[in-house]
Amino acid sequence: MQTIDSLEGVIETHPFLFGLDPKYYHFLRGCATMRRFAAQEQIFQEGEPADSFYVILSGDVALETVVPTAGTATIQTIGSGQALGWSWLFPPYQWHFTARAIEPTEVVAFEAAALRDKAEEDRDFRNEILTRVSKVLVNRLEHAKRQLIDSIA
Amino acid sequence: MNGLTGEVIAVHPFFSGLRLKHLRILAECAKKATFGPEETLFREGEPANQFYLIQKGRLVLTAGEPAQSWKIIDTLGPGDVMGWSWMFPPFRWHFTARTVEPVVAIELNAGHLLEAAETDHDFGYELMKRVAQLVIHRLQAARKQFLGKECAPHDAPGLLPGNLA
Repeated sequence: MQTIDSLEGVIETHPFLFGLDPKYYHFLRGCATMRRFAAQEQIFQEGEPADSFYVILSGDVALETVVPTAGTATIQTIGSGQALGWSWLFPPYQWHFTARAIEPTEVVAFEAAALRDKAEEDRDFRNEILTRVSKVLVNRLEHAKRQLIDSIA
Repeated sequence: MNGLTGEVIAVHPFFSGLRLKHLRILAECAKKATFGPEETLFREGEPANQFYLIQKGRLVLTAGEPAQSWKIIDTLGPGDVMGWSWMFPPFRWHFTARTVEPVVAIELNAGHLLEAAETDHDFGYELMKRVAQLVIHRLQAARKQFLGKECAPHDAPGLLPGNLA
C-alpha cells in the first residue's frame, strides 16, 4: 500500500509552488523540511547568509530592519500562502532584512543551495523559479511604494 | 538597426555578459528617444511597453496622486536603466517618470523583447535576471525612503548589484 507523503502534498498545493511541472515536486520534497516558529521567534537575520527559502503554511511573519536611532521597524507583514525570502536567489545571497514570526508560524523550508544547484543544471526550473520569485519582488516593491505614499499624509 | 545604438548597448554594464546574438536582439528593438525638460515619459497605471537606457539628462520616478503628494522614489541620470513594469503582470507602470532636465535615452520596445524571450528562453532568462536586479534596487530605494534613512539612491551611473552593497 502506497504511503502518501504529506509534505510533498503540502508543497504541491502551496499557492506559491502550485502549477509547477510535476517532476519538480519530488525534487523539492528532497530539500524541504517543515519548521515551526514560536511567536516572536526570529526566522532569519538581516546580513546573514540566505541559505533557505520558505513558504508560509500558517501564521504571520514580520519583515524588519534596524533603523539607527529608532530601533526596529517593520517593513511588511506576510502570511499563509506566501513565499518568504528572495535574497537567496540573487548574489550576494545575504538577507536584506530580518524575518520574525509574529504568532506561531509553520513553514516549509527549502535548502537554497540545492535550489540554486538545480537551477544551474535545469534551465526550465531556473526560469520558472526566477519568474515566481521575481513576482514576489514586485509584490514587495508595490507594498513599499504604497507604504511610502501613505507615510506622506 | 542603428550601429551607434548597438554599440552603446554592447558596452552598457547592465548588459554585461550577454552573448552577441542577444545583444543583437536588443539592438534591433532599440531606438533613440529625446525628452524636453519637465516632460512626463509615462504615468503610473499606464500600459508599460518600454525599457530605457538613460544617456544624458536627469529624471525622477514618483508615486502617488494627485501632483501635490508626489513622492520621489528615485532620481536617474546618465548610465542608469529604467523600466521593469513591462516584464511582469499587470504590465502597467508602477511609477510616473518625469524629466528634470532634457533627457536623451535609448528606448527598447518591450513587446519585441518579450516576443524574442518567448522564442529564446535563454534570452528571456538573461533579461529577467537583470530586470529583477532593477526591481531589487527600486525596492531598497523605496524602503530606505520610507524608513527615513540617509540615502543616495543615485550614487553612481549604472545599476549593478555591486553598487548596492
